[in-house]
Amino acid sequence: MPSLITTPPERADADPRPELAIHEGRVLLTGSRCGDCGYPQAVNPPRCPICGSHSIAPATFGPKGTVFSSTVLRIPVPDRTPPFTLAYVDVDEGPRILAHVDGPDEALVPGSEVVLSGWSEHGDPVVRRSGP
Amino acid sequence: MTGAGTAIWGVGTSAFGKQTSLGGPRLAWQATVEALDDAGLQASDIDAVYAGTVFGDPGTVTRCLQQIGIVEVPVITIENACASGTSAFHEARESVEMGRYERVLAFGIETMTAHFDGAISPIASDPDGAQGYAMPSIYGMSATRYKYEFGVTDEQMAEVAVKNRRHAMGNPRAQHHKTVTVEQVLGSRMVADPITLFQCCSIADAAAAAVVGPLGGSRDPSGEVAIRSSALRSGRLWDHTTDKVWGWDIVSDTAARAYEEAGVSVGDIDVFEVHDAFTIGEIITTEALGLCELGEGGRLVESGHTSLGGLQPVNPSGGLLSRGHPLGATGLAQIAEIVWQLRDMAADRQVPGARLGAVETMGGGTAGIDGNACVVTVLEQVG
Repeated sequence: MPSLITTPPERADADPRPELAIHEGRVLLTGSRCGDCGYPQAVNPPRCPICGSHSIAPATFGPKGTVFSSTVLRIPVPDRTPPFTLAYVDVDEGPRILAHVDGPDEALVPGSEVVLSGWSEHGDPVVRRSGP
Repeated sequence: MTGAGTAIWGVGTSAFGKQTSLGGPRLAWQATVEALDDAGLQASDIDAVYAGTVFGDPGTVTRCLQQIGIVEVPVITIENACASGTSAFHEARESVEMGRYERVLAFGIETMTAHFDGAISPIASDPDGAQGYAMPSIYGMSATRYKYEFGVTDEQMAEVAVKNRRHAMGNPRAQHHKTVTVEQVLGSRMVADPITLFQCCSIADAAAAAVVGPLGGSRDPSGEVAIRSSALRSGRLWDHTTDKVWGWDIVSDTAARAYEEAGVSVGDIDVFEVHDAFTIGEIITTEALGLCELGEGGRLVESGHTSLGGLQPVNPSGGLLSRGHPLGATGLAQIAEIVWQLRDMAADRQVPGARLGAVETMGGGTAGIDGNACVVTVLEQVG
């Protein structure tokens, strides 16, 4: 991945990607948690998809997480230059999100520990490896 | 509903390949006229059309069918990602089952080379697609996880491509007619680690069709294939609570419903056409269909169980890996293959004595859910 951006980029309201924000110097995932069943999401819908509760409160998650799986995409897609590394990350106490990986062009081993670290040049959420 | 009351009266397909110059209508005419002739019907006999297409322009289906005389009927177009064609089939069957229509055309078409040079572009309005998450990377994720969790090997994944390309040597309508070796598959260009190029289906232009009607109601009931069941559903949420790879549960859940409705178990089924858009997809799907236990799919293909000549052949047509994957047409091409198998018409790729067959198609591309749609249908030879 060519460059990591550590200040929040401008973001369109309709941008569907998981939204990161900086709180007290840490990069966190923003979203919501159900006030009744505790279900965490990277979005903030009016009802909980699990229990149906209307009691959905904004929440932040991270910065740490664990890789569920990972791959390196090596074919061109519009507006991006391959290769780039992607991972599904189970953010601690939070939801599973897709993120780009800051590091060499190799897939992370499932179970690897990562930390939310900023944004790609395209505004994608980015993680980097933080431990084993 | 018992599912005992409907049948496929006729099927047809175009050839599968990169055939941009033909355009949609000509592909549609090949598939539809073959299906009508097979069913012994005229275009004017059709009561309704359910069609699947994903990238088709507005009006694609009526534009394709009007000039062969399928007019003045309800035409309903369904988009359900890779399962669009089988979703159309499912709805066609439901409409006959419920007595709404009697002679229904299930139709699917895609002219992908008009839209793409290579892989399908990620969906920009999707949380994952907006990050450049193209379809091969979805399956790359599953393959990475399977290598880690179950020790599935690159060679086992490659074996799916080797098997299906070998099967396609008997299928004159497939896009690829060349066998490949494990070494060639693994030596081909890396697309989405650890998935290599020969483990990915090609894009294609094609159409496919089936005529659905009441069981025993056609002019020659001996050619009918009974629809024992059909199940269609979207996936569960696929989230941090999910240990399974994407797409496992939706196939398992849909298959369970289809087997229950048909009153069969997986061991009763002689032949399968399944969604092998990528090699790991067939490995996951054979597990989810119950052909083996979770995590055993790599060993299953290696054992020869799913090869022609094995106990339960999977993708005797060569599958998507050989046919290519024109999304709307794929499901109905799978249906056509099983119909030909059950009628003992599949020539060099025939599964001897096949009486019961199953089709599975699964479509994705939406983040956070275990698949947009899956269809599993169980078909039986009754003639």
